[in-house]
Amino acid sequence: MTGDVGLIPLIPERTRVVDWHRVGAVTLRWTAAILGALAIFSVLLVAKGSSPTEVFVDMWISTFGRAKSVEEIIIKMAPIVLAALAVAVPARAGLTNVGGQGQLIIGAVAAAGTALLLDGMLPGTVVFILMIVAGMTAGAAWAGIAALLRLTVKVNEAVSTLLLNFVALDLLLFLIYQPWRESSTGQPSTRELADAAKIPVVTGTGVNIGILLAVIAAAAVYFVLNYTRWGFRISVAGGNPEAARRAGMPVAALLLSALLVGGALAGLAGMINFAGTEYKLRPGFGASFGYLGFLASWLAAHKPLPILVAAFVFAALAVGGDSLQLDAQLPAATVNILTALILVAVLGWTRSKEKAL
Amino acid sequence: MSLIIDVMTGAVRGGTSIMYAGLGETVSERSGVVNLGIEGSMLMGALGAYIVTVESGNPWLGVLAGALTGAFLSAIHAVLVVWRGANQFASGLTLLFLALGLTSLFGSTYVGKSVTGFSPIAIPGLSDIPFVGPVLFNQDPLVYLSFVVVPVIWFVLFRTRAGLLLRTAGERSEALSVNGYSIRTVRTWAITAGGALAGIGGAQLSIAYTQTWFENMVAGRGFIAIALVIFASWNPIIIMGGAYLFGAALALAPALQARGVIVNQFALDAIPFVLTLAVLAILGKRTLSAAPDELKRVFENAPPAKT
Repeated sequence: MTGDVGLIPLIPERTRVVDWHRVGAVTLRWTAAILGALAIFSVLLVAKGSSPTEVFVDMWISTFGRAKSVEEIIIKMAPIVLAALAVAVPARAGLTNVGGQGQLIIGAVAAAGTALLLDGMLPGTVVFILMIVAGMTAGAAWAGIAALLRLTVKVNEAVSTLLLNFVALDLLLFLIYQPWRESSTGQPSTRELADAAKIPVVTGTGVNIGILLAVIAAAAVYFVLNYTRWGFRISVAGGNPEAARRAGMPVAALLLSALLVGGALAGLAGMINFAGTEYKLRPGFGASFGYLGFLASWLAAHKPLPILVAAFVFAALAVGGDSLQLDAQLPAATVNILTALILVAVLGWTRSKEKAL
Repeated sequence: MSLIIDVMTGAVRGGTSIMYAGLGETVSERSGVVNLGIEGSMLMGALGAYIVTVESGNPWLGVLAGALTGAFLSAIHAVLVVWRGANQFASGLTLLFLALGLTSLFGSTYVGKSVTGFSPIAIPGLSDIPFVGPVLFNQDPLVYLSFVVVPVIWFVLFRTRAGLLLRTAGERSEALSVNGYSIRTVRTWAITAGGALAGIGGAQLSIAYTQTWFENMVAGRGFIAIALVIFASWNPIIIMGGAYLFGAALALAPALQARGVIVNQFALDAIPFVLTLAVLAILGKRTLSAAPDELKRVFENAPPAKT
């Protein structure tokens, strides 16, 4: 993928004809990968004394057979899609953003701060829009710290974004344990967001329109990366910085902007999770959507449309974990095994081996 | 004075698991491979050690089990990254999820089960030395083991042939293949050994420091270890000091609270990460110039050298 970018003129993927042979091979490898993951998971379940067929059937039925669970999947999908896009955009510029989790948390913190300050004074819609702006700005700023460290003192962004995740988490906990805490008894959390400022729900369902924002964002990212000058330039800057520099491109500004856009997307994920699902900040806010997004982006080879599929799979698995707990009395976190095994198979056995160390 | 002793004693007890994990990460990174799954290796080690100690009653068998389970997880990282060309960051995080799942599945029946692990043992004579005695010589056996492991790791890395090969894999991997060694084999061993060390760190956490098992008990210590390695510029001796420094930051809040001073724990919890970021920002290039060359390639997303 690297190196040859400079040779490709402005002919994006749209001109390519679908290669059905390749599609078939890819489908086959993916099927094999997922079946392999299921097989190993079954062995582990047997070792634990559970019946794999029973567990799988129960999981399938309670994950896809109940309207409530399907809604739950769609709700969880939104932040994962956005967190994955937050990885995919910088990846196009050759940057590794491991910091989606932190940017998501900071986005939620900014949204919550805005709401705490204003949701009693301004109309709900205004607060809602301000929360989006605050969340995206804060997420971008948090990623911006990493971008600045890279551009000024050459600190690698994978390291700095990773470290910033934990600073963000501690900041969140700091705020909800003291300054923003609603009541000194019970589980620490902030006051609940005013009803008027909550993300609207699709009529007749429990699904908030966060998923709509996420799908629009995925389409926008797809368009921007493939059909705009900026998208082309960041991929050149990422693939061959030297060539980009010689062509007169502002490489530093391009890298900075790619990481900022990523941070803004993750910040939006945090805002949606706050104003659409949880309504208050509490310990464990945001689950591990940022990390799941990182992995979803890798699963989808950083392509926006496959990211929708990968995020759906991870969201379904997360919901499946809850049903594991209810039906099979296994800890919900058990489902992480399945998530990880699918990734192991995909990372290790569905790509070319050429880049092996 | 008693506050300082309390904090430093807590720093050594609580910092030791981070130290083992940091040493493991150093061994791995010195060979040129980042392992974000070190948190997972700690979890596996913590549970492996706990189960074997509960079932056998012998905590040393538990430590062995912890090392083996930690090594097992990191060996998967080695296979994926070294032999299958997977991205190091994605593979590391994947293995963290794998460890979270495996340990909650197989650990659920051990939650709340009591264990007879390691308790602090005062070393006669040495533990009577003012200040140093209670801080360093009234600790659990795995803390004492770390006093030996740190110089041994340093010696192996910098004074033995195996260490030279390992560092060559991290600095100039092509020199290894020119001389007939396999870069892949050297890295596989380094990553796996690193996982074993992290596993011992996990064991110290579950059967010595807290003597309990609960889901996700490592709670980010593996990531503190990753920060620590950078903070200590890949040097085992500095890692020891850094682990105690970070441990002190974590031990300060409980010690103050015991004296009626209310502090917000989480401001202190951020210290290891903020300090490491500050070190990177201030010493930026200098810190990174201490990094193994092959690791810099990883960090700079440059294509790795051909095998």
